[in-house]
Amino acid sequence: MRLAPVFAAVTRRTFVMFKSYSFNSISSLVTMYLVFCLMFFGAKAIGGPVLSSAQTLEAMVVGYFVWLLAVYSYSDLSWDITNEAQVGTLEQLYLSPVGYKWISCFVLVSNAILVYSLNIVFLLLMMVTTGKFLRLDLISLVPILVITVAGVYGIGYMLGGLALVYKRIQAFFQVMQFVLVAFLLAPVDRYVWAKLLPLAMGNHLAAEVMVRGKHLWQLPPADLLYLTASSAFYLALGLAVFTRCEKAAKKVGLLGQY
Amino acid sequence: MLEVSGLTKVFPGRKPVTAVNGITFKVDAGEVVGLLGPNGAGKTTTIKCILGLVRPTAGQVSINGFDQRTHYRQLLRQVAAVLEGSRNIYWRLTVMENVLLFAGLHGISRREARPYAEHLLESFHLMERKDAEVRSLSSGMKQKTAVACALAKRTPLVFLDEPTVGLDVETSYDLRRVLRDLAAGEGRTFVISSHDMHVIQDVCGRVVIISGGRIIANNTVEDLLSLFRTRSYNFTLAGTLDGTLTEGLARAFPQATVAARGGQTLVTARLSHGGQLYELIDVLRLSGAVIESVSQVEPDLERAYLELVRQGRETA
Ligand SMILES: Nc1ncnc2c1ncn2[C@@H]1O[C@H](COP(=O)(O)OP(=O)(O)OP(=O)(O)O)[C@@H](O)[C@H]1O
Ligand SMILES: [Mg+2]
Repeated sequence: MRLAPVFAAVTRRTFVMFKSYSFNSISSLVTMYLVFCLMFFGAKAIGGPVLSSAQTLEAMVVGYFVWLLAVYSYSDLSWDITNEAQVGTLEQLYLSPVGYKWISCFVLVSNAILVYSLNIVFLLLMMVTTGKFLRLDLISLVPILVITVAGVYGIGYMLGGLALVYKRIQAFFQVMQFVLVAFLLAPVDRYVWAKLLPLAMGNHLAAEVMVRGKHLWQLPPADLLYLTASSAFYLALGLAVFTRCEKAAKKVGLLGQY
Repeated sequence: MLEVSGLTKVFPGRKPVTAVNGITFKVDAGEVVGLLGPNGAGKTTTIKCILGLVRPTAGQVSINGFDQRTHYRQLLRQVAAVLEGSRNIYWRLTVMENVLLFAGLHGISRREARPYAEHLLESFHLMERKDAEVRSLSSGMKQKTAVACALAKRTPLVFLDEPTVGLDVETSYDLRRVLRDLAAGEGRTFVISSHDMHVIQDVCGRVVIISGGRIIANNTVEDLLSLFRTRSYNFTLAGTLDGTLTEGLARAFPQATVAARGGQTLVTARLSHGGQLYELIDVLRLSGAVIESVSQVEPDLERAYLELVRQGRETA
């Protein structure tokens, strides 16, 4: 079975659908931007000992950027599954001979292409607004971000699996956004367990690159190992949970029901 | 082509539901088979179990020799399906985008898919609307688009679960014509579930009737019809109703109906075996009736079907 035509078909679908929903996507980005401005200038005004250093403000821009990537990544699959189960196209996707795992992967990648390019624009906008011009060393940054979001997609697969079985899990998403913030702020330099949380290490290393101007090869190898291992773990766990949920959904006959 | 044996599905739950109960049947390449049965009989569940969308509790399924358990991916390459009661397609995309998308999901590139897609839309009279978003179409056109999407995958086997629900007479004809042409011209195999006997009689060579999760009949449409053809007769008698006749009939043929029609009498009787025809004629002769004409009741699938389902319920 050739994967290329399937990838092309799914990507095309994503792009065409995006056009008809682009108003939603753009307006949610505008909201995110306003929230960010509020936070940033609020933090700057309050100042205080914690936020006094310039680097903290810069780290905040990085954190918000990484958080945005995560927010758009973890919920993608469950949204798609819930929508498609509702309209009845999910079963059709499950009939594709490449298997739904590949289809979902293509759905995520094609969405990521769109959303991440918007997020880059957003990052530039943040930098202009705040006057904090960060170092965009792509060779160092891209691998770190890719590995970081891979872990987040693991969480996405877990939630996607739950969406297959329990359908209405959107209420849970609101909470999840704050959980992600908590992961982001985890004190990785003090505790080992914090290094193993999703997002935490990725955010820390992204800040090292973007704020302190370090290169990939200047980062502590142990930290890179923590990042890679935890992301791989969450991704594998997510896929395993998803597979279990697929089995359960097929047993109860839930793929075509909402 | 398709082999199903001992297929059983019990939906788990506080009160488990046995939707399909040990179904065994075969479909040969090039056949068009109708899947019939009352509401809740288990047709949709059977189809979804075959497709692996619902996990069977027991039994084997294989398509073109590919076993569902061991060669699921290859099995999926052999089939396409339009499933009951769901949209099946993307309303936000155009007709053509949908058809090409579904071909794409089956590994067919747009370039390869386009000529055949156009051919299909042509036969469904959808070509003028090919660039219209599906949500702007009438429900019949949506339905036809969904069928076209399944057909565009060019799989040897196609399942259609109630494809003509809500179609007007003309659209339903359209669809039947295309299906007949595809079966004859491309040798494709179809399994069609429907409650519309005209559709079944029109396109299917054979029917599998399911009731209560079991198969109660598996015959060619011809056989089913002739089973009932030989046994129902209309007699037109000269003159009006007469007491001896009604009495005699009531005794020997309680199910026969007698009706007056413009100076004549119409007797309709269904016989349980061929030899009863003599008995019936004897009753008529004894009552002094003059037979003006005899005809066989034209059998239709609907009656045959209803009768079989009734019998099936009684034996169950
Ligand atoms: N996901 C499910 N969970 C529990 N029970 C189910 C499920 N799907 C179907 N059933 C039950 O299984 C039985 C068979 O249903 P099915 O949909 O296969 O019938 P059908 O022959 O397609 O009927 P119809 O003609 O109404 O479409 C019904 O009693 C139905 O309630
Ligand atoms: Mg059904």
